[in-house]
Amino acid sequence: MEFGKTRGRVTPQELNPSSGPKPKRVPKMVGRRKKEKVKRKKNKANIEELKKEVVMDDHKLTLEELSRRYSVDLTKGLRPEKAQEILDRDGPNTLTPPPTTPEWVKFCKQLFGGFSILLWTGAILCFVAYGIQTYFNEEPTKDNLYLGIVLAVVVFITGCFSYYQEAKSSKIMESFKSMVPQQALVIRGGEKMQINVQNVVVGDLVEVKGGDRIPADIRLISAQGCKVDNSSLTGESEPQSRFPHFTHENLLETRNICFFSTNCVEGTARGIVIATGDSTVMGRIASLTSGLAVGQTPIATEIKHFIHIITMVCLTLTAKRMAKKNCLVKNLEAVETLGSTSIICSDKTGTLTQNRMTVAHLWFDKTTYEADTSEEQTVNTFAKDSDTWFILARIAGLCNRADFKPDQETLPIAKRATTGDASESALLKFIEQSYSSVKEMREKSPKVAEIPFNSTNKYQISIHLREDSSQTHVLLMKGAPERILAFCSSYLLNGQEYSMDEEMKEAFQNAYLELGGLGERVLGFCFLNLPNTFSKGFKFNTDEVNFPMENFCFVGLISMIDPPRPAVPEAVCKCRSAGIKVIMVTGDHPITAKAIAKGVGIISEGTETAEDTTAQLKVHVRQIDSRDVKAIVVHGSDLKDMSSAQLDEILRNYTEIVFARTSPQQKLIIVEGCQRQGNVVAATGDGVNDSPALKKADIGIAMGITGSDVSKQAADMILLDDNFASIVTGVEEGRLIFDNLKKSIAYTLTSNIPEITPFLLFIILGIPLPLGTITILCIDLGTDMVPAISLAYESAESDIMKRAPRDPKNDKLVNYRLIGMAYGQIGMIQALAGFFTYFVILAENGFKPADLLGIRHDWENSYVNDLEDSYGQQWTFEQRKILEFTCQTGFFVSIVIVQWADLIICKTRRNSVFQQGMKNKILIFGILEETFLAAFLCYTPGMDMALRMYPLKIFWWLCAIPYSILIFIYDEVRKFAIRNHPGGWLERETYY
Amino acid sequence: MTKKEKKSFNQCMAEWKLFLYNPTTREFLGRTTKSWGLILLFYLVFYGFLAALFSFTMWAMLQTLNDEVPKYRDQIPSPGLMVFPKPVTALDYSFRVSDPESYRGYVDDLTKFLKSYDLEEQKNLTACPDGALREQKGPTYTACQFPVVSLKGCSGVEDPEFGYSTGNPCILVKMNRIIGLKPQGKPRINCISKGEKTATLSTYPSNGTIDLKYFPYYGKKLHVRYLQPLVAVQVAFNTTSTGKEVTVECKIDGSPNLRNQDDRDKFLGRVVFKITMHA
Repeated sequence: MEFGKTRGRVTPQELNPSSGPKPKRVPKMVGRRKKEKVKRKKNKANIEELKKEVVMDDHKLTLEELSRRYSVDLTKGLRPEKAQEILDRDGPNTLTPPPTTPEWVKFCKQLFGGFSILLWTGAILCFVAYGIQTYFNEEPTKDNLYLGIVLAVVVFITGCFSYYQEAKSSKIMESFKSMVPQQALVIRGGEKMQINVQNVVVGDLVEVKGGDRIPADIRLISAQGCKVDNSSLTGESEPQSRFPHFTHENLLETRNICFFSTNCVEGTARGIVIATGDSTVMGRIASLTSGLAVGQTPIATEIKHFIHIITMVCLTLTAKRMAKKNCLVKNLEAVETLGSTSIICSDKTGTLTQNRMTVAHLWFDKTTYEADTSEEQTVNTFAKDSDTWFILARIAGLCNRADFKPDQETLPIAKRATTGDASESALLKFIEQSYSSVKEMREKSPKVAEIPFNSTNKYQISIHLREDSSQTHVLLMKGAPERILAFCSSYLLNGQEYSMDEEMKEAFQNAYLELGGLGERVLGFCFLNLPNTFSKGFKFNTDEVNFPMENFCFVGLISMIDPPRPAVPEAVCKCRSAGIKVIMVTGDHPITAKAIAKGVGIISEGTETAEDTTAQLKVHVRQIDSRDVKAIVVHGSDLKDMSSAQLDEILRNYTEIVFARTSPQQKLIIVEGCQRQGNVVAATGDGVNDSPALKKADIGIAMGITGSDVSKQAADMILLDDNFASIVTGVEEGRLIFDNLKKSIAYTLTSNIPEITPFLLFIILGIPLPLGTITILCIDLGTDMVPAISLAYESAESDIMKRAPRDPKNDKLVNYRLIGMAYGQIGMIQALAGFFTYFVILAENGFKPADLLGIRHDWENSYVNDLEDSYGQQWTFEQRKILEFTCQTGFFVSIVIVQWADLIICKTRRNSVFQQGMKNKILIFGILEETFLAAFLCYTPGMDMALRMYPLKIFWWLCAIPYSILIFIYDEVRKFAIRNHPGGWLERETYY
Repeated sequence: MTKKEKKSFNQCMAEWKLFLYNPTTREFLGRTTKSWGLILLFYLVFYGFLAALFSFTMWAMLQTLNDEVPKYRDQIPSPGLMVFPKPVTALDYSFRVSDPESYRGYVDDLTKFLKSYDLEEQKNLTACPDGALREQKGPTYTACQFPVVSLKGCSGVEDPEFGYSTGNPCILVKMNRIIGLKPQGKPRINCISKGEKTATLSTYPSNGTIDLKYFPYYGKKLHVRYLQPLVAVQVAFNTTSTGKEVTVECKIDGSPNLRNQDDRDKFLGRVVFKITMHA
């Protein structure tokens, strides 16, 4: 329930007794303690009352008393069996869902709401008319009865259908919510375990850290710098510190209690659960928080009711499709907003990069080799036959404290979990992959002593028994390259040792600078074969060094980087062609940030920052014309001093921007800056401090793996795989859905013209009515339905990611170009098709077009039963009515046939249908469905009674086909012109 | 997204004015003169083309039609019945014997209708043999005479008031023309008064017979002076009965291929009318 955005939060105003709704029924009372707590009256919920009546004294207890009351060990927690027992007794730790609208009410709303009520009225009037007829007339015609039944059935079916759709989409959205389960870290039986929040029980020992949501009401027993954000409960926006001491009589004021569903902002804490689920403080005012007013999405207000179903279907489909592609959308509206995104502010680590150090380059034998950094790591491109490589690999493998965690033999090496820091793990994996098993290596040359890495030494030494002669030792060393070089007096070249010279030193310097300039972390490696005096059994003392620490032999350098995710460069490139600016916001060092930005294409190849240019031209930064420079790396400390006007200028003038060394607060400033330029901004974030930026951004994107609960709450969308490329997929889907909605609306609107013009001409020209109400309903509620929905399944056009983002202010879902196309052009052709069929049927039965003008008066007079046609035949009223209804059926069938063409042309807005193909199976099904439905309505016996639709001769089906072809050709020509004259008049006036 | 700010009324008006005519861009209703010209030209050409195409398809369709016989006649397999005088709103004849004005309309209508049945008019028509269908091969088609005297007192020859002035009003019943219709058997119009027997009905020609020689009909163009056979019903109210009101139902009888019963079509092979006569 706390899943919605901030509007879900309870503010003090909302807790005001006058505005608060009645409290929820008292939750089922289980257990002794609950009974005494839930004593409140059923009158208006009142925070004061809550304070008074919460008879809880857990915060006053000493730790011993607390331990006794809940019979829990304060270090080991509950026994798992005991926890299970309590869980069975108290039920899951969830709030009873708010009383939702009962299903039958929702159903009735669909059945009797809006447009349906008109149809019901119609149906009832029919029945009434039939009743009157039976009463006054011995042999009444059953027309009204049948029409009434049919109307009722149609409304019922469409009601069921839209209810089904609504239910389905809300179900899908529900399931999305449960896909991001809230976890809690509990200690049970002395073991730490991650469990779902639902399974937390009273008495559990839980641990919370910054970014977590508090899983239940907790009495703290220890805390380190713990701060909580109680704004969801009390409205206080300042984080409050929490510690184990009792500070206030009042439960809500005391500092040793954390409340369910509030957020821990920073620090860590341990505590005992004192209440779960509905009996928590939050649970008892749940009825207040549950009344989340879900505002109508702007897209929903923009469209008419009868397209509502289609919109819902489209959005739900997309949300589902996006979930498959690892984008979890929290509200449907976000799908559409995502499509109009024009700036993405992305984190670096984990989003653009893989969030794991990987060996990128090696430098030995005076040559730089590139290692494969792709996620699969299949290709190895360096010289493996060099002797230097063997030694380098052994140093990297042995002088390394990282190790694989057990039981991972089946996993690919790159995916295995390791202990140890990021660089060592990177080396470990690299050696395991490209040399040999590190485990075997370590078994063969056991470690006898080591000096671990520290920041003052900046090196690490380990001494091993030699593999070839087990009596002697070898000293291996790795560390910061300049430190390593200082220890060395010789170096290896192709396995041969040479004494260190200036040339080598220069080569080393160049290599070091080159690799460092790539933003990589560089490590140097050297070794020393210890003389025989240090034979087996020698006691190495690492504190007071009793072994040589000079004249080492330099082997080489290995540099590591957190490499970009493989799909990211392509995604960034896609963004660029889609007119979306990607801004990197990172806390990393500018050089690293720039290197990654270049690696993924945020700073494109060939583009240079002002610093690059100055370095090359050897001039001062000020001398460079800033208009020539497209890329910039902004340092966080500079950003701090900038006015918003200066920031605006940067955002406006540079196309490729990287913010390095920024704090999360500055992300908010950046997002706001982008929005000032009128952009639709998507921002990613994972930490607690990112949530303001996530909320401020038009689309806040939280990380599914590394993201904190708080950031996930604040976000509109969650990336399940933390991958930047998924955002771009999301943008593409968002654009696609907007396009498809437009197409669907264009399709649906078009048939309005052939539905309206018959009545106009009936009035103006006095001809028999060419299309009746029932047939119009058959089109709107019958044949047009499935094809319109099928357009939601249409795949993207080739230009979807090649055009600029939609301008939400000017490019509306329904614009005048769409109306012009649908009503002014295609609709007109459709109407002509219908009228042609109508005139054909009348003429072939004896009424030539010229004789029809002004015939309406006699035609509609039921006492004129000898109306003469163009051939001298005389028609009774009923006979010519049947003819008229046959014409209406013909008109209806013609609309179905021209809607085939309309559907096909609506598949694309720019591409030719031949480029797009007919791969949309639902669409093909839609065409068949509408055709069969039309044939069914036309030929089923009894339809003449029920719907007054009459069988047609086959030839009459064909009348509309030339017009169908005309629609197709016209639109293909139009699209051809649009493709060949981009920005031309036709595009400006007809590209919807 | 930021909330939409509420605009003041004046702002609204100013925006509207700017939309109507924007002097800086010289836009009228959001478009410049050139833009309006282009879009109007586009639609002019577009609709011109559509109109031409529609006219062409209509013309092509009309070319396929036969001038003499419609392509399909299955919509009217069986004829309807119609009465004269022509009813205005409902089949309800009401008049006052003592007031000639009250039935003048009916009399005029009958006179006018029977004009084409004048002896003078029928001079050039063929006197056809009774009792058999008269199929013709063309190229010229002749129409049969209808001896209007067979309608006896309702022919208007002897009584130009068609019995209305004497309290015995005449109603003519005719069968709708249908091209190529060939009645089987011996068709006749059978009229009965429904409900209380308040009046006796006489039909002329006797028995209400419709002679087969008037069939088949060959259409307006070929069968130029064709005359439909008529049957007259004359109502004579019983002097004893108090109410001078009768509901008459006439049906085609004696011909298996002429239907006289249809739930929906109350005029298919039958007709019901009511005569109310005031003193």
